[in-house]
Amino acid sequence: MILDLHVHSERSDDSRAPVEAYLKLLQRKRAERPIDGLVLTEHRQFDPRRDFRDLEDRYGVLLLNAAEVETDYGHVLLLGVNDDILARFDFADVRLPAQDVVSEVWRLGGVALPCHPGRPTVGLCAHYEARGPLDGVVAVEALNGGSKRGEDARVAELMARYGYAGFGGSDAHLVSFVGLVATEFEAELRGMDGVVRELRAGRCRPVDFRQRAAAAAEGG
Amino acid sequence: MALEFDRSILGQEFDRVEREPVTVDEIVAFAHALGCTEPCYLEPGSGLVAHPTFVVRYRGRRFLPDSLPDPLKTRMSFDAGKDIDFGVPIRPGDRISVGAALHDVYEKTGRTGTMTFVVVRFVIRNQRGETVATIDNRLLYKD
Amino acid sequence: MPTRRFDDVHEGDELGPEDWFLAKDRVRDYARANDIAFPRFLDDEGARAEGLPGMIAPGNMSMGLLVRLVEAWGGIGCVRRLGTTFRGVVLPDRTLRLCGAVTHTDAAARTAELDVWIESDEGERLVIGTATVALA
Repeated sequence: MILDLHVHSERSDDSRAPVEAYLKLLQRKRAERPIDGLVLTEHRQFDPRRDFRDLEDRYGVLLLNAAEVETDYGHVLLLGVNDDILARFDFADVRLPAQDVVSEVWRLGGVALPCHPGRPTVGLCAHYEARGPLDGVVAVEALNGGSKRGEDARVAELMARYGYAGFGGSDAHLVSFVGLVATEFEAELRGMDGVVRELRAGRCRPVDFRQRAAAAAEGG
Repeated sequence: MALEFDRSILGQEFDRVEREPVTVDEIVAFAHALGCTEPCYLEPGSGLVAHPTFVVRYRGRRFLPDSLPDPLKTRMSFDAGKDIDFGVPIRPGDRISVGAALHDVYEKTGRTGTMTFVVVRFVIRNQRGETVATIDNRLLYKD
Repeated sequence: MPTRRFDDVHEGDELGPEDWFLAKDRVRDYARANDIAFPRFLDDEGARAEGLPGMIAPGNMSMGLLVRLVEAWGGIGCVRRLGTTFRGVVLPDRTLRLCGAVTHTDAAARTAELDVWIESDEGERLVIGTATVALA
């Protein structure tokens, strides 16, 4: 099963993509981007009232609600957000303590996943060099669709050194870029509980569809 | 450090200015610089109109309301992007007015560190009161 | 007046890509035409004095180029709205790639929503945005 674990909808301040528009594109481009679901990781917010069941039924994909928060070690995706996690952290705070986020989100039933670790300032690599590693990280975003040249390469070193599993996400802020990078899971997943379980166990791997998409675009 | 300010100023117009009439030369120079070749943007005459993005030339006398904290006013700002709703086209002779209001202020972190984003909304009208454009300008101030 | 017919537009249709060499002289002309002849838009030395890697193009100029792309597709005056985020500095004396794609059509309003973006010659997305376009 393949999920794009890092997607922003128009709810994120710098995205302009309605969720349904993402699904329409994935429907059209199924052959080159075989995505079974999306995880909406909105910036600095989480709305527990979001209900995707209608869209899931109409488009036959899994749609999951998550968040991207900002910490003193960079940006982190929070999956499995529940009332306890919402009460524990102010998602709008751009200076959350990363160690607390990683440890407490795990304790409260979710998983905290550092994203774009190779990116300057807001990625784990730079902070690890300066301050040392965090305890409890199990997986990092090995491939991010918005990375600049060289940023993802730094992550491979990080993963090897600390034994982290890797996942992938498009980090799409526009409809056109969804699903170009994603995560493959061995298990069949029906909801966030399963996704969290597999990520916690590190049973995931990043997948890259950019070359396939480019070839399809050239082919017309 | 998070920016503290009186959020009741959001939405309140803090500046209004009326500019000199638009000239043919200004319209044509702008279009030339963009590499336009369309006659309607380049040839003087009754059909000449300004390129739609000509509206970004307009700004108020002040970037920010006086009531925003001083640290922002002394920092260099960068253009982080704009949202423009286009209205009626601008023609030579139009007298353009710009009303500015603070629309939003928020923080986020990025490649260059912690940033404060200030969104200033311009409502741009012509002498007939018609809306030429509404522009949300996102200004980025680095910590 | 919009020239592209609604019935001829489909979700997934692409605009361009159009490759455009952004010359320094053109950036200077744009800066002067906009009364923003600041050092960063005029020469490398002036830009470096402001902490930049070299001379840059104004973000507004990127918006102008994207409207050119869209109007070439949809007709003069077709753009109703354009929203952009400037993600990276646009350095002149390089080739930019202007791209777009139709993401949604609205039959009642006879409009289309587009993704539009500018890539550097290394494939980095420097400007991303969306546009609402009126169709004939």
